Amino acid sequence: MNRRETKTYQRRLTELLDPDFMARLDSLDVLSRKILQGKLQGERRSKRRGQSVEFADHRPYVVGDDLRFVDWNIYGRLEQLFLKLFLEEQDLTIHLAIDVSASLGLGEPAKELFVKKLTAALGYVSLVNNNRVTISSFSDGLKGQLANMRGRNYLSAMTEFLLTADCEGPTHFDSACRQLVAGRIGSGIMIVLSDFLFKEGFDAGLRRLIGRQYDLYVIQVLSPQELTPELSGDLKLVDIEDADAAEITISTALVKYYKRNLTAYCNELKDFCRRRGAIYVLANSADSVESLTLNYLRRIHLLR
Amino acid sequence: MEWLTPLTGLYAAAATVPLLLLLYFLKLKRREQIISSTLLWKRAVQDLQVNAPFQKIRRNILLLLQLLMLLAILLALAGPILSLTSGPARRFVLLIDRSASMNAADVEPTRLDAAKKEAGKFIDSLRSKAFFSLKDESDQVMVIAFDDHAKVMCNFTSDKHQLRSAVEAITGGDGGSSLAEAVTVARAFAQSPGTEANNRSAENPAQLVLFSDGRIRDTDQVVVSRDELVFNCIGESQQNIGVTAMQARRSYENPDEINVFATIANYGTEQAACDVQLSINNNVRAIKKVTIPPQKTDDVSATARPGKVSVDFSLSYAGAGVLEVRQLQPDALRCDDAAWSILSPPKRLAVLLVTRGNIVLESALQACPLAKLESCSPDEFDAMDIGVLSVEQSYDVIVLDKHIPAELPRCRYLVFGHPPNGIDVAVPEQLENQVIVDWRPRHPVLKYVNMMNVFSARCYRMVLPRDGEVLAEFNETPALALVRRRGSVFLLAGFDVLESNWPFEPSFVLFCYNAAAFLGMQAGQEQRAELEVGEPIIVEGLSPDTAAEISGPGFSGREIKANPAGSIRLPGTDKVGVYSLKVPDQALKLFAVNLLDSDESNIEPMREIVLSGESVQAQESSLGLSNMPLWPFLVGIALILACLEWLVYNSKVRI
Repeated sequence: MNRRETKTYQRRLTELLDPDFMARLDSLDVLSRKILQGKLQGERRSKRRGQSVEFADHRPYVVGDDLRFVDWNIYGRLEQLFLKLFLEEQDLTIHLAIDVSASLGLGEPAKELFVKKLTAALGYVSLVNNNRVTISSFSDGLKGQLANMRGRNYLSAMTEFLLTADCEGPTHFDSACRQLVAGRIGSGIMIVLSDFLFKEGFDAGLRRLIGRQYDLYVIQVLSPQELTPELSGDLKLVDIEDADAAEITISTALVKYYKRNLTAYCNELKDFCRRRGAIYVLANSADSVESLTLNYLRRIHLLR
Repeated sequence: MEWLTPLTGLYAAAATVPLLLLLYFLKLKRREQIISSTLLWKRAVQDLQVNAPFQKIRRNILLLLQLLMLLAILLALAGPILSLTSGPARRFVLLIDRSASMNAADVEPTRLDAAKKEAGKFIDSLRSKAFFSLKDESDQVMVIAFDDHAKVMCNFTSDKHQLRSAVEAITGGDGGSSLAEAVTVARAFAQSPGTEANNRSAENPAQLVLFSDGRIRDTDQVVVSRDELVFNCIGESQQNIGVTAMQARRSYENPDEINVFATIANYGTEQAACDVQLSINNNVRAIKKVTIPPQKTDDVSATARPGKVSVDFSLSYAGAGVLEVRQLQPDALRCDDAAWSILSPPKRLAVLLVTRGNIVLESALQACPLAKLESCSPDEFDAMDIGVLSVEQSYDVIVLDKHIPAELPRCRYLVFGHPPNGIDVAVPEQLENQVIVDWRPRHPVLKYVNMMNVFSARCYRMVLPRDGEVLAEFNETPALALVRRRGSVFLLAGFDVLESNWPFEPSFVLFCYNAAAFLGMQAGQEQRAELEVGEPIIVEGLSPDTAAEISGPGFSGREIKANPAGSIRLPGTDKVGVYSLKVPDQALKLFAVNLLDSDESNIEPMREIVLSGESVQAQESSLGLSNMPLWPFLVGIALILACLEWLVYNSKVRI
């Protein structure tokens, strides 16, 4: 704790989030659709019986049990010893995985900023509610990780992490996910923020994340230029990540096919997620993070 | 279909088609644009290609359209024509009327230009030597321009350029129109193979194509077979007023007085009023207003007769000059609006007095205004060469005083005493004491001459031939008589003046003056100064190689040399007007060339001409094209393709 206090942070959270917005975020909490196993005692109901005020069940006394949990009222009625079992309340792990590949840096407004703002908002809500927060950045692998933060104190660390993460390098989603899963951060809510424009495909990577231990949210962020391209003329399109070039002559037909492809791609991703119990969210980087957070994410019950 | 200029098209194609293809093969300089991922674009491009089965073509539809457009332009350059006529090649003779009536301006600009234009159209419509045509035969054309005479402008050829320039070279003249010579020439040339000596001369007779207004003078001398002649009638209006006759002459009685007669004809269908102007040397002397009745159609012969009005002017003018009668109403034809006449000055006479000495006669003649008075004795006169005197006419009047020459040169004679022999005047006897009893004071010779009291002691009785004219009579015999024989004029006084009291009368001097003037008037017109259009100007009696300068309407100061025989001949009087010939050391000679041709002044276009009984109708429609040029269609197609290309490009680029 002392070590953290001595560390000075150059950036402030207000660079990402408005104070007003933060005030409104204070009233929110992260919801999990699954009851997941936490690590520490927390505010979440868990499947495990443990110490809490929430009554779960009775079971017969066996020798060695703690006499403090014997239900004496039942003993008085039935003259048998029963132990009261309580549900244990554990903390919730929220895992934010953000894409920091070079492609995120493009767009007007930039997808990077949108992603970081959204991450900051979600991280803020999570930290404020004493959840365990892990933020990972990935491109062609895991780039950085800020693991197991809990409590308001970590806000500035999170801010520093987000604001110092540069968008560069190619994406390799599959290997990034493999490294992510290998980090054993524990079960919880997994929120992946990316544009999901992966040449090698998103399914292999996402398949690693979908499973028993994660409540998966997929947030795809696209820039308005990607959603409705405003190009004209004869162009040589250069991929920023692998310098792949595509020579095109913009025509109505081409743009039509592009849009059709984009829709198909997004639907494919959406179907993939829905079929596997993940939640898919498409965000336009021109939209405001506030409305997305306060309205849409609440509607899909990620936040409450 | 045939091609007029396929090589042009081929050259242009060789230059432009590779250029266009090169433009497409050249790598397009594309703008670089960095994007997040080419993933979706590549898929879109793939989709675009996969979903369009004709994608290759579609991507190059612009190229295709441009190629088509270029092709259309190239084909247009190659000059394709659609031959609407078929059959073997033919030979044509274009007969283009260049007579005076073709100068009429009722068709803009003139009938001749309209005819040339029509002829140009005709030439354009000919089948020419085409490169890719299966038939290598091409039409051949000869061009003849005619007025009074035919002029070959171009022999048979199929070179359209040459033909066009030959037609352009035709200039209008003011002559009449005589078709016979042109037809004869055309037939003569039709026997010849023409410039391109392919052997198809005589077997098919040449088709005559006449461009005229139909006013042809010698239609009865032209014989054409049916369908040999195609007639294109040029001209619309018949409104014309022209001077059709004009004469100016000095009066016998008073040489200073000039009488001018002119006939003004109106060929229009309405009555016309016009001013007729008389001018001498371009100084206007008189203007008369005349009203000319319209053209009338004779009920019997169904021929139209122009309304005519005669105008006469009378003025006194002693000098030489050019007399012009001009009608001032503007009309279609200009060359018949004026007529000219050359006035020669009153003659100053050269007189030869043949006498043995007669002081009375000598002094009386000296008192007359003569150019030259020579006297010689009868022996000297007999010694003169009669032939030279006849030809040279060095004397206008020869006065014979009591001398009977053996031979008489052709001349005018005033004879006192015994009349000469050989003029059919018999002298049976001599009479004595004769008194003038009657004379004709109105005769120019006896003008102001009072012969009362003239007495002759002795005179000859003259028995005159029938045509002899008695001017004064003694009581028994004619005293003064006028006899014309063998081109000579004899004024006979059958007595010796010295044997009469006449020399003491004032009338004697007056008689001498009148007689000399009258005989001088009888002197032949020394030079024909009034010519018709086309007649050559001929001046003879010059020394060989004399350089003269000739000026006329439209040209001036043209040098012309006399031939070794000492004559100058200018054939080119094909324009009306006044021509002047300046010979060094001689007075300016003037010649008036007049149209004065009722046929040419009548400019009514004839829709039908009858050539020796064969009626030829004018072609109603203008020339039907035997070839249809296709290039305008091709250019139109190219234009449409250009629009289409623009549309396609726009639809492709627009988002």
